[in-house]
Amino acid sequence: MKEKKVKKDIRSWLDERSGLSVVFHFLREKKIPQHKHSLWYYTGSAILLFFGIQVITGFMLVFYYNPTLEEANSSVARIMTEIPLGWIIRSVHSWSASFMIAFVFIHLLSIWITKAYRKPRELTWMSGVFLLVLSLLFGFTGYLLPWDDLSLSATKVGTDIPRSIPVVGAWVTQFLRGGEDVTGDTLTRFFGFHVCILPIFLFALLAVHVYLVQKQGMSLPLDLESKEEKVNELPFWPNFVYREMIVWLVLIGVLFTVSIFFPASLEKAADLMAPAPEGIKPEWYFLFLFQMLKIFPSKILFMNGDTLVVLLILLGGIAFFFLPLIDNKPTERKGKIITVIAYLFIIYAVGMSVWSLL
Amino acid sequence: MKLRHSLFTRRQFLNGLLGGWLGAFAVSFLYPVLKFIFPPTREPDEVILPFADFQDMEPNTVKNFAWGNKPGILKRNNDGSYTAFVGVCTHLDCNVTYLPDQRKFYCACHEGWYDENGIHMAGPPPRPLRRLNLSIEGENLIIKREGVE
Ligand code: FES
Repeated sequence: MKEKKVKKDIRSWLDERSGLSVVFHFLREKKIPQHKHSLWYYTGSAILLFFGIQVITGFMLVFYYNPTLEEANSSVARIMTEIPLGWIIRSVHSWSASFMIAFVFIHLLSIWITKAYRKPRELTWMSGVFLLVLSLLFGFTGYLLPWDDLSLSATKVGTDIPRSIPVVGAWVTQFLRGGEDVTGDTLTRFFGFHVCILPIFLFALLAVHVYLVQKQGMSLPLDLESKEEKVNELPFWPNFVYREMIVWLVLIGVLFTVSIFFPASLEKAADLMAPAPEGIKPEWYFLFLFQMLKIFPSKILFMNGDTLVVLLILLGGIAFFFLPLIDNKPTERKGKIITVIAYLFIIYAVGMSVWSLL
Repeated sequence: MKLRHSLFTRRQFLNGLLGGWLGAFAVSFLYPVLKFIFPPTREPDEVILPFADFQDMEPNTVKNFAWGNKPGILKRNNDGSYTAFVGVCTHLDCNVTYLPDQRKFYCACHEGWYDENGIHMAGPPPRPLRRLNLSIEGENLIIKREGVE
């Protein structure tokens, strides 16, 4: 009995000072609705899983990685050949990044199509769009770090794209590159973005996002919301959490299998003076953009083709950010049209990506 | 004329003072930050190369040289003259390569093509390759940015 009392004392000591019991109480009361679209509720925590893996493997890689022109490529080679199990760690880091972004897309599209961003969850969506941008920036900066042929060309193109943004474009390019051209400074700067600046912003936004999700609770599909009868619910703790863990275990299994049987590769070190290698490709999530840049002609109405692409993407991004405000009548005609646009967008992005691989 | 009331209340005055001070503080803080993160990198005005290295080039071949941080391409034309280009695609900055058998410059990034004079002919590039001025002085090949005397 004594033991129990000590435990209780410790708990109340902590609670008196931190007030954490409110949080525990909240989690114990939290309910997850059960219906035919419940599957999408698991995508958020899948992203968190892969992000967690990124953080841990990232910590490990940074012990050996060297962000300099001379050492970057060879330090990655060293991680993969000399450091015990280094090849798995790097491969998992690289694959987990792809998995994370894939789940970010799934998460976001499911929210778009079920219109879970409708009032009062607009801010949740907006913070989510920022998180998407950060994830893509993580991918983009990380792609350069092994400093091989492919990553150099991808970075040259990627950092030159903002140049066509009116007024601030040239500054953005210079800011990203640390000068006019992609050089060793760019590599060091990208490393700084990747391991220091982006993580801070990501954690801050993630906190906001998760807070908002808790505050608003899970969104119900439109057709259920209007119905009178009560929707089945599952307690978050422990039922839902256990189910999430099952999903996590499966995902971890898939991730490691893929990482081991298709390990991340490393090309020869990049040479700033060498011509771009044949068949350069960005990461898969930038393929649609890559294909657009390729097929847009050099001049369209007074504009360079790439300027038009950039403006389109920019406008698309802004519309996307404000989507919950635009899609403010989800059950009416307008809402239906926007859902159709969502499907068209998916077809377009997938189509362009596949085309780029042909 | 003497005003009966002040145009400002004391609070407005103090708010203005404080706001102005904060603004000035922010600017004086941001200026050095911006200065710091944009390093002064200019491309060179000129590079000097030993002519001996390039003297024996066959017509319709190219040799690379370092133009600052970018590749420069020196091309020997059919009539024996030389032309110097900045070997960077005008589309989105990839390094181009010269294909002698097709007499074209090629950019692998988005399949951009330029003819042997560096004029864009197919694919997304919007402008010809940038040219550099070239002169031979004694032992040296002097390559200058266009417009530099
Ligand atoms: S960068 Fe050369 S074609 Fe796009």
